[in-house]
Amino acid sequence: MSALLAATEPVVRLTPQARIIGAILALAFMGLILDLIRRDKLLERYSIVWFLLGLAMLAGAVFPGLLELLAKALGVRDVTIALFSVTLLILLALSLNFSVIASRQSKQITRLAQQSAIDGVEEQRAGEVRPEASSRAGTPAPPGRAPR
Amino acid sequence: MAHGVKRPVAAFRPGKGRSAPAPPRRARIARVKRLVFIPAWNEENSIEAVIADAREHVPGADVMVVDDGSTDRTAELARRAGALVASLPFNQGVGAAHQTAYIYAIRHGYDICGQLDGDGQHPASEVARLIAAVEAGADLAVGSRFNPDADPDAPGYEATFARRMGQRLFSLLVSTSTRQTFTDTTSGMRALNVRAMEMFAERYSSEFAEVESLQQAVRSGLSVKEVPVHMLAREHGSSFITPLGSAFYIFKTLIVLLIGQLRPRQVSE
Repeated sequence: MSALLAATEPVVRLTPQARIIGAILALAFMGLILDLIRRDKLLERYSIVWFLLGLAMLAGAVFPGLLELLAKALGVRDVTIALFSVTLLILLALSLNFSVIASRQSKQITRLAQQSAIDGVEEQRAGEVRPEASSRAGTPAPPGRAPR
Repeated sequence: MAHGVKRPVAAFRPGKGRSAPAPPRRARIARVKRLVFIPAWNEENSIEAVIADAREHVPGADVMVVDDGSTDRTAELARRAGALVASLPFNQGVGAAHQTAYIYAIRHGYDICGQLDGDGQHPASEVARLIAAVEAGADLAVGSRFNPDADPDAPGYEATFARRMGQRLFSLLVSTSTRQTFTDTTSGMRALNVRAMEMFAERYSSEFAEVESLQQAVRSGLSVKEVPVHMLAREHGSSFITPLGSAFYIFKTLIVLLIGQLRPRQVSE
């Protein structure tokens, strides 16, 4: 019974209105990304993936056949569900990617901070060694060193 | 991950970048070079006393304060008290502070380093005992305030019930994972030799420094010794822990330990 229903029920497609709105949004999105690159707010290497995503949005709106192909490949009857699933997966992958990038950068920042702290100590030590070298006797014990 | 292959911190290995050579007079006398460091974040009320304590009880050691982005006068007072001061430009967490000292110690040819908290909870006389334990052969010595061998009449350390439970749980987890008994896994009173410092200079958890480093050390084949010590109640400031916060912290630590169990062992020579 249900198999029969599935065979006879028509595929759910995007309405022309939804496609027009989608196309406009996609164009606006790509425009925004180009503007961000132009104003140096976004590095090219991070922008490419977003630009491709905008292009895919546009393609989906202009060629409804592509979305139907996608739905068929995923085995769902409703084109919108296919669209949402794929979008979610892409966003998930992207945010994971950004977490990895953030972790790497945080590690690099820590190393930089540590290096700067160590430079500070070395500077402090260098400041102590110089007066010691010029006048051996009579100088107070340099900081950080225990009296011998 | 290709942890054993990729060595991203090769620059921190000893022999490289020793930019401040020790005076030749000291170099000729082959003696054990000791560093005592004090990680401190806004500890202006206690830092001078801790430095003086370290001076008195660990004679012959250089004293360094790792100022973890303090916004008060910690660094200034420490410098005035005659300690070396490594100031991190912004607060990076206790792990990064410890690691700073390890990297510095390796680069400057220290053989042993001891560490005690900047809030005055750790008597330096006890750190001296940890250093002795490392000199006697341990790679890493950790001071425990809960060790059953501790002198029951010594001035004690009082902890709240919730904290004690958390401590118990961590001990159980770390002990199970390392097959070695640890009673005080969050203790920041430690002493370590070059082998342990090198391992921690390469990788050291920033948020879960104390707990995870025990697991890391034992898994990598380091000899870790827990030494009963007494600690004091903190004189100034309070611990960051709220009930919900500590529950979340315990949960995060659990996950960190589970993942630690799956990590490749670090190779130490």
